[in-house]
Amino acid sequence: MAFEYELPDVGEGVAEGEIVAWHVAPGDRVSEDEVLADVETDKAIVDLPSPVAGTIKQLHAEEGEVVEVGTVVVTIDVDGDTPEDEEVEDAVAAEPDAAAADAATSEPAVDGTDADGETTDADGETTDADGETPVASGRVFAPPNVRRLARELGVDITAVDGSGPSGRITEADVRSAAESGTGESEAGEEEKRKSALSKRSDSGDSERKSAVSKRSDSDGPKSAVTKRSDSQESGAASAADSTDREQTVAAPATRKLAEKHGVDLDEVPTDKTRDGEAFVEPEDIEAYVETREAVEATEAETAAKSEARPVRTEPYKGIRRTIGNQMQASSSTIPHATHHDTAVASQLVQSREKLKERAAEQGISLTYMPFVMKAIVAGLKQHPILNTELDEDDEEIRYKEYYNIGIAVATDAGLMVPVVEDVDEKGLLELASEINELIERARNREISREEMQGGTFTVTNFGAIGGEFATPIINHPETAILGIGELEQRPVVEGSGTDADVVARHTLPLSLSIDHRVIDGAEAAEFTNTVIEYLEEPSLLLLE
Amino acid sequence: MVVGDVTTGTDVLVIGGGPGGYVATIRAGQLDLDVTLVEMDAYGGTCLNHGCIPSKALISATDIAHTAGDAERMGIYADPAVDMQGMVSWKDRLVTRLTKGVESLCEQAGATLIEGRAEFDGENRARIVQSGEGQGSESIEFEHAIVATGSRPIEIPNFEFDGEQILSSRDALALDTVPESLLVVGAGYIGMELATVYQKLGCDVTVVEQLDNALPTYEDDVTKVVRERAETLGIDFQFGQTAKNWEETDEGVVVRAESDDNEMAEFEGEKCLVAVGRRPVTDTLNLDAVDIEIEEGVIETDDRARTSLDHIFAVGDVAGDPMLAHKAFKEGEVAAEVIAGEPSALDYQAIPAAVFTDPEIGNVGMTETEAEEAGYDPVVGQMPLRASGRALTLNEREGFVRVVADDETGFLLGAQIVGPEASELVAELAVAIELGATLEDVAATIHIHPTLGEAVHEAVKGALDESIHY
Repeated sequence: MAFEYELPDVGEGVAEGEIVAWHVAPGDRVSEDEVLADVETDKAIVDLPSPVAGTIKQLHAEEGEVVEVGTVVVTIDVDGDTPEDEEVEDAVAAEPDAAAADAATSEPAVDGTDADGETTDADGETTDADGETPVASGRVFAPPNVRRLARELGVDITAVDGSGPSGRITEADVRSAAESGTGESEAGEEEKRKSALSKRSDSGDSERKSAVSKRSDSDGPKSAVTKRSDSQESGAASAADSTDREQTVAAPATRKLAEKHGVDLDEVPTDKTRDGEAFVEPEDIEAYVETREAVEATEAETAAKSEARPVRTEPYKGIRRTIGNQMQASSSTIPHATHHDTAVASQLVQSREKLKERAAEQGISLTYMPFVMKAIVAGLKQHPILNTELDEDDEEIRYKEYYNIGIAVATDAGLMVPVVEDVDEKGLLELASEINELIERARNREISREEMQGGTFTVTNFGAIGGEFATPIINHPETAILGIGELEQRPVVEGSGTDADVVARHTLPLSLSIDHRVIDGAEAAEFTNTVIEYLEEPSLLLLE
Repeated sequence: MVVGDVTTGTDVLVIGGGPGGYVATIRAGQLDLDVTLVEMDAYGGTCLNHGCIPSKALISATDIAHTAGDAERMGIYADPAVDMQGMVSWKDRLVTRLTKGVESLCEQAGATLIEGRAEFDGENRARIVQSGEGQGSESIEFEHAIVATGSRPIEIPNFEFDGEQILSSRDALALDTVPESLLVVGAGYIGMELATVYQKLGCDVTVVEQLDNALPTYEDDVTKVVRERAETLGIDFQFGQTAKNWEETDEGVVVRAESDDNEMAEFEGEKCLVAVGRRPVTDTLNLDAVDIEIEEGVIETDDRARTSLDHIFAVGDVAGDPMLAHKAFKEGEVAAEVIAGEPSALDYQAIPAAVFTDPEIGNVGMTETEAEEAGYDPVVGQMPLRASGRALTLNEREGFVRVVADDETGFLLGAQIVGPEASELVAELAVAIELGATLEDVAATIHIHPTLGEAVHEAVKGALDESIHY
């Protein structure tokens, strides 16, 4: 039997992945769980294990190709199948439309047309997950086409908030619910889970149909909108906004002229009307043609210029795009405010110097980060409002009574934020070794999605590269992030009045960004003061 | 398998060519499924042959005669003569025309049509039994089956249908003479429609009903309009009477009934029509061969019209109440689409229904009481037809249009209409309910003047406290 392996959802709710490298080629034998490919999704690279044992028949994606979840990436000839089976399967796979009729007449036992998309997994067990969205009981205020769309997208329509009159549910509401995952019915979840599992190629028409409709969705209204705005741009440039006209009155000679210049009369701007319809005369056409030519010339010039300068393009995808989306979401929903202050870190430097050697004896490299994290936890304990998350949907501020601190790490692929859990319960050395390990693995891109989730507060150590102050972007839905500048000697005023003196001291600049919806400036300053207090007097950590 | 059997195969086997079955057949054909339809009697089923269509033919024809003879108020004096045989043969011609139409639509959809009775012979095989021929039959292997065997009239104890004295609704639609008098047992919609037809044809009709009102499933103010009109026509109602047995007499029949306080009464008539409901037909199918669940004679189905076996569907009357052709249409479509893998489901918000009495009743969705029970805070708008210009020009002044909506959101929840053309008027409100429209949506829609539809408009405006004409 030819097994069509569809790209599963390798993370949580991942929509697509890039095939970074194939480890197999057609003709190769694979055993179950053998790694077929490296797939980069969102923030991590994961192995794609083979769900079956067999021989690789065909690879359907190139290395570097971005593949949607649910797309067949590899066909595997499964061991121990009879040739007849293979033929039937192939026929089905090759001719999806004819599959229904063929499967039925030639061999009723092949459930090629089974409406519920019953699947047989690799073990040959039948899973009765029909993946259907049940019809809501009680009244639903949505038109029939919208209800159908909801079923198609696996959305529980009763959980969708309607934006129409009196809360009537529209097509757009269902689509956005499907995208955000809210209102996803259990059946929908089931379907997702199922499509994450590998499927036999004959697992039902509905899958194919929904794939088709998805494609048409993205080509549909959205791209229409884009197109319109494109044409508006050039239209605006090309003089007077022409026009959504469907009819234009013009003399035959004018029409001829328009034809000669290849001009659509409905596009020619005019203020004149005849019998209530727009009216166009030859001079209008000439003016329009003139402007059009001028615009075309400018465009050509611009194009020529930009062609002349060398530009290298890289696709905006994978981890880069994930970072981008996350930043955009954070920046557009959270009103950021950043508080800056500086800790005088002379004692911190001394303490660390002393402890570093002890740590080294245990093979641990002790950086400043464990001290900073401990100081942060002390601050969070005294100012719990900074250890929160804002749930916009439920309109709740959630206070986290645990301390999982994310560390922003620059890697070759971009920014990653591994999370150190329960920082309050760990000693400095334990933290040091854990942080080092996480950073190391993040840089080698060996880190899993799970290790980057569940943070309650984030620290970003841009100072490791250089700089004093910055404006960190909050790791949504957290409500605060602390940026650490470079620890170095800076002039500090000590003493007061006439005894005041400028001396060189190690200082540590701090930049705290807060979600100003949740946290007030005073609270930000107080938290920073606490952190500074602990950084300036590290022995206080002993009391923690 | 019997020796000599021929076996063929099909994607979809449809059993029964009534409204549920023929629609499923056509839809399946449109969706490029290989479909086979097996019908043992006549295409179009009860609806076309013995129900909706012939009864509406007789109702319309007798209305013309009756209205012409009852229009002195409009200055018309007439005494139309009715040739019952002529009327019945006209009705038969149009029924034939329609059944032929259904057959050819099924053929055009690419379906294979087989005459005979289909019975299950395993979960993926059925045997076609042709009447009259004892040996050798055709077997069909199917991927999916759609059971659409419909329903038949219920017989009550001691009242076996004989087509002579004791008539089913089917018999009553095929009489070629008008009896002197007619007893009708059952004041549901079938009994009421036929009672009206025969009373208008000059027959003395007595309706014997166990409950205390005609059309007991409708609201009192709705049935009151119909019952009073029927009484004006001369129909005699005997409520609270349970028909027990009957005897043949020289003039016809005498039916003995027992009242609520256990007193026996006798009612005489030339013939007796028993119309007390319908029950699903499942005994022709050899259902023992498939393991599907049946509850009180009704094949259990889910919101995809599927039985407890995923590849066997049931649509129409055999799948239970309400036994309405248009419900069967919908189920037939959905069954075919589900088989074809489409995301269809029985997700309708309301099934409109009509009673073709004089005047008609049309209803859809919830009544005010039902809306309250469902947790809404209902607001009601009602427009009496005596305030409708168009109704008066039709020489009608009874009846009303009532709409029920949710006060908070304005969403339409239901409508009850009693009056001329109520069956047509309700369609507008069915669309509104299905779309999730609000009172304001309908109120803002221009309606033609002068029409009965304006009464719908006014009722909706009334619910918004904005009525103009009432």
